[in-house]
Amino acid sequence: MAELKKKEEPKIGVFVCHCGTNIAGSIDIKAVMEYAKTLPNVAIADDYQYMCSTPGQNKVVEAIEEHKLTGVVVAACSPRLHEPTFRGATKLGGLNPFRFEMANIREQNSWVHMHQPEEATEKAKDAVRIAVAKASLLEDLIPKSVPVEQAAMVVGGGVGGMQAALDLANAGIKTYLIEKEPSIGGRMSQLDKTFPTLDCSQCILTPKMVDVARNENIELLTYTEVEAVEGYIGNFDVTLRKKARGVLTTEEAEARGFVGGGCNGCGDCEDVCPVIRPNPFELGMAPMKAIYVYHPQVSPLLYTIDFDSCVKCNLCVDICGDKKAIDLNAVDEFETVKVGSIILATGYDIFPIEEKHEWGYKNYDNVITSLEFERLICASGPTGGHLIRPSDGAVPKKIAFVLCAGSRDNTGVGKPYCSRFCCMYSLKHAHQIIEKIPGAVPYIFYMDIRSFGKMYEEFYYRIQDEGAKFIRGRVANILEDPVTKNLHVNAEDTLLGRPIDMEVDMVVLAAAVQPSAQTEATRRLFGVSCSQDGWLLEAHPKLNPCGTTTAGVYLAGVCQGPKDIPDTVAQAEGAASAASIPIHRGEVELEPYFAVCLEDICAGCGMCINLCPYQALSLIEKDGRTVMHVTEAKCKGCGTCGGFCPGGAIWMQHFTTPQIVAQIDAFLLGGEQ
Amino acid sequence: MAVKKDYKDQVLVEKLRDRKYYIPDSNPEFIKEVEKIGLTPAHMCYQCGTCTGSCPSAPRSSYRIRLFMRKAILGLEDEILTDPDLWLCTTCYSCTDRCPRDLAPTDVIMAMRNLAARRDIVPRNFLKTTQLIYNTGHGVPNNDANRAARLKLGLEADPETTHKYPEFLVGIRKLLDHYGLKEKADRILAEGE
Repeated sequence: MAELKKKEEPKIGVFVCHCGTNIAGSIDIKAVMEYAKTLPNVAIADDYQYMCSTPGQNKVVEAIEEHKLTGVVVAACSPRLHEPTFRGATKLGGLNPFRFEMANIREQNSWVHMHQPEEATEKAKDAVRIAVAKASLLEDLIPKSVPVEQAAMVVGGGVGGMQAALDLANAGIKTYLIEKEPSIGGRMSQLDKTFPTLDCSQCILTPKMVDVARNENIELLTYTEVEAVEGYIGNFDVTLRKKARGVLTTEEAEARGFVGGGCNGCGDCEDVCPVIRPNPFELGMAPMKAIYVYHPQVSPLLYTIDFDSCVKCNLCVDICGDKKAIDLNAVDEFETVKVGSIILATGYDIFPIEEKHEWGYKNYDNVITSLEFERLICASGPTGGHLIRPSDGAVPKKIAFVLCAGSRDNTGVGKPYCSRFCCMYSLKHAHQIIEKIPGAVPYIFYMDIRSFGKMYEEFYYRIQDEGAKFIRGRVANILEDPVTKNLHVNAEDTLLGRPIDMEVDMVVLAAAVQPSAQTEATRRLFGVSCSQDGWLLEAHPKLNPCGTTTAGVYLAGVCQGPKDIPDTVAQAEGAASAASIPIHRGEVELEPYFAVCLEDICAGCGMCINLCPYQALSLIEKDGRTVMHVTEAKCKGCGTCGGFCPGGAIWMQHFTTPQIVAQIDAFLLGGEQ
Repeated sequence: MAVKKDYKDQVLVEKLRDRKYYIPDSNPEFIKEVEKIGLTPAHMCYQCGTCTGSCPSAPRSSYRIRLFMRKAILGLEDEILTDPDLWLCTTCYSCTDRCPRDLAPTDVIMAMRNLAARRDIVPRNFLKTTQLIYNTGHGVPNNDANRAARLKLGLEADPETTHKYPEFLVGIRKLLDHYGLKEKADRILAEGE
């Protein structure tokens, strides 16, 4: 605490970075440097082409030793980019790393004021002056280490979440895999084949599902949702809602004393259940009972009761008999688990493409989405793999595929981004109908075919060779022949420069994807940001694509942005690796930006306790007085308490009141102290 | 610049004309001017063809709105402003409704028609329509056949417009005079005689 320490004479070194021409292109570096030399407490000012390079950092190290500096200011890019770099250099020079202050003269200056060099230079001088004022008052701070809970959590049981959980588990980490649906598998389990290899999707997925179910380090919690999250990296307390399933596992039955009971997946209950409703896994194209499994390959093989439609007739209970697996009075249960790190893999939904009225989805019978096509062409789907027209059950011969349906759309109804895998799966669909239906012709309406991955362009070549017809033009509208239920697809063949009216038997819309319905609520629970379009935001788009701005929370798969299966699995492995680091290290260092109570001044009024958004503050008895106490590991250094404290008894480390006041003074007084 | 060769024979000169796109033949300011008048960022067009696919004029004519967008972006000012197809848009706004880039191709066409009119390039039928509006208040005035049909349907011979209230023509003429439209139409039509 500053006032308790002996006042030292501040000696600040200022280093101005050119960043090539990124900064020097619009800011007069020499002028800023010369100006810095005139500021109070500045012992040395220097500049360099790239301060972040080894020679640049050496300048800092050498200056600390030579000039006995007490603080370092680097005027360069955003602290997000190079604060850690220069803290390292400051430490290497023998100073406490928190004796470093950065002045951002790139992102917040040279880049935005590219065409106003004079004003930009003046602004850079202001930034340097303010940073020097703060650097003169910086103190030594010691980061705090906290132990890390030796367990991890993965939210979402699609292929990304499964891969992440398997990697964590195989690295010896106890992993909770949370899935809101009754079975793991996610979107991939709804697909028939996968591009470009044409592997059967279920065939390559089910072994992974079995691995997940059997792995002794994985605790699989299906039909479970995250209810609340508390804590911080290394010490998350996650409360889970285990939704009332109404069916007991073998273990749960044993716990109730029914040894040898519990659900064995025989399906007798399903046969007697009188309630019929649409199966969401089949996108409503097949019936399902109130007690159900989505499809035969579910994992775990365990029935679930939909209590919204169950009439509690007891027929299932009777037929289940001695197994006593069914409990119609089940209620939601809550469980809190402690984990050290968390991976979100919450996936995607299909954009409601009926909102684009011109294509007539949900209005015309024979306009379907690609996901519906997957179910119709899949051997385990509602038609046994026979593609038929919903209007009359006839086999379609001419099928139009509409790409960019709702993607790359800036109208507000649709998504501005590219959904990234539609081109490739539509090529696969074209292949499938050529293979399965003799004489069938796929017509692919496209703007650009984006076959970006390994062997993808070759796949495009192959499908073109197989006879798919490509029409370069976005579909303007679709009209239905009211008698035949055929569809007239209107577009322009832009390469021909001629409008087209193509009569086809069926239209498949490659609808855009969007974050899954619960993504928004989930990300708020975990304190993760999202980008403008709702996808979860990575810490850095290039250099930290699996991390988030919340320490200890990582991302895998489409929840971070559209990606195909190989990319999802790759990111999941990356996220698992990142999430295992704090667990394997055993402890994490927290930035020492926490609040400190100046107990001599604290009146123990307790006003700050309820203000704290992180429940980090409490009142304690100390030397016969009531004073506030900070749980440092919980404090995020937000400053709410420090700003409020009527007695000025809360000291925000690294953002102390004297430091901030000095910055404001330096700015307002223009250097004339 | 396009290479010019003299083949002596005019037919041959036209037939073998250099048709390549050369940057110096284009006007980079043209698209900016069009955007200023049309109030739509036309340079964002990605040539998907939704506009032409939606266009009721395209199947029955050589009018290609997507091509006009392309030419505008490339700055082919002379080619656009002298193209009679520019006047085939019915301004139904289907393209504007559906454009996935949220542009207004119709307004781009209207802007380019404005620029053509500044250069006195307007089809005679449009000019005659201007005269008709000035004289009757209608682009398509009532005629005897229509009057007979209206009477047969139990309506008045003339509708509730300037046909029935010619005194309101004064206001319409004032508007047209303000922009010098009638004068311009008269002049261009006279020059063409």
